[in-house]
Amino acid sequence: MQNKDKDQKSSFKLFKTILFKDIKSEVRQINDLFSIFLFDIISIFIFSSVYSFSSQAQNMPLEIFVIEVWLIIFFTLIFLMSKLFVKEKESGTLGGLLSSPVSGNIILVSKIFYCFILLSIVELILFIFSIFLSAPSIENLSFAQLMIFITFGVLLPTLDLSICGSIVSAFSMYVKNKSFVLPILLFPLILPITTSIISLNIKILEGSLINDLFYEVIFLVAHITLMGSILTLISQTLLYD
Amino acid sequence: MNESNKELLNCVNVSKQYGYFFALKNISFKTEENTIIGIAGANGAGKTTLIKILCGLINPTLGKIVIKGMDYENHSNTIKKKIGISTDESYLYEELTIFENLKFYDNLHLNFDKNSIKTKIEQFASKFNLTEWINEPVENLSHGMKQKVELIRVFMHQPSILFLDEPFSGLDYNTTKILIESLNEMRDKENVSIILTTHKTEILAQICDKIIVLKKGKISKSFTKEEYKEIQIESYF
Repeated sequence: MQNKDKDQKSSFKLFKTILFKDIKSEVRQINDLFSIFLFDIISIFIFSSVYSFSSQAQNMPLEIFVIEVWLIIFFTLIFLMSKLFVKEKESGTLGGLLSSPVSGNIILVSKIFYCFILLSIVELILFIFSIFLSAPSIENLSFAQLMIFITFGVLLPTLDLSICGSIVSAFSMYVKNKSFVLPILLFPLILPITTSIISLNIKILEGSLINDLFYEVIFLVAHITLMGSILTLISQTLLYD
Repeated sequence: MNESNKELLNCVNVSKQYGYFFALKNISFKTEENTIIGIAGANGAGKTTLIKILCGLINPTLGKIVIKGMDYENHSNTIKKKIGISTDESYLYEELTIFENLKFYDNLHLNFDKNSIKTKIEQFASKFNLTEWINEPVENLSHGMKQKVELIRVFMHQPSILFLDEPFSGLDYNTTKILIESLNEMRDKENVSIILTTHKTEILAQICDKIIVLKKGKISKSFTKEEYKEIQIESYF
């Protein structure tokens, strides 16, 4: 029992060590992250100006706003995927991780959380800018609805996307044409959840209560469980040549 | 060399195939504790592939590696706690400082005591003349300095087996001397076994207890310490 506790503590410390190392490296190369922010803001700006120019409408309909934001998030994920295993492989540092007494699962989980943190920061900036630039027709949300939106509309899908992104990044790190393979592998994985994410976001922003979100939330949780299980089962095979 | 002659590593019929190409074919050898084994051979002979298989970085197509009675399939993490690896690729994060890199790798070997890590890093930095550069990002260092940091990274967690791929490349005369002294000291005083590859046959002659020569993925000859002093190793490349 004591050994099990000790192992769990060590695993958590190892997870933290790898995650903090990734965050520290990212902060030292902040220009990479700025270029992603810039891509998001420019995309929002182009999308919003084209829409308002063609429709002459002051406010963007909710459905189009949600699709616009999540489309940009999906493309941002492709940029972020290259920061996970692909970057470690290309810089040669993957060997350092694999030759250390750290299990493949710990490395994978730390990369999923790293992707989750980066994607959440990008989404925060994206939502702030998109609300100002696209001016969507959203009714005033109560604090409880806002919390439901952040938890089920943003963080839950982000976790799912981070798991899918980590699987694809690990899959493609030994492949030669990474820039071609990354999106090709990602889209079939995230395709089943796109409808749920969009529908969930629209429903919450329209003011639906948590009871109305049951099927979308269950579908996302099931997808997360499935992807997580696949990742755990194939982690060793994925990480080693 | 210690007289106990305990078996440390057993490489059993290891082959590695890439497509139709065999990088290694039926490699078998055993090593004992407290020895330095040199793997020699021309470019493309399979030295790096062999050392990566020995340290569990890549899986062999056929055969297996047994270290202290354990194989990688069932005891990967236990073996990795005991070994240190330096290959042709740098495992250092360019944007992090020397200190941060070394601390990170020591943490991965389950040492989380800040004070002991700091003391160890300072001692090694002083030994390899890197004290002034300790808080410098690795990207600002020369190739030779990076090589020194790599070696410190490997030595830090006090492994009982060291796998070094071309450890002398890019090192100046003084650092080569320090490294040879360190390797000898580790074998004699700390009972560390070392398996290394190098092109520099004169260095092999200075430190190795046994030399294995690879040619086109196969062992073309192996020498004991007594034998190879008389022989021109290059003739077997």
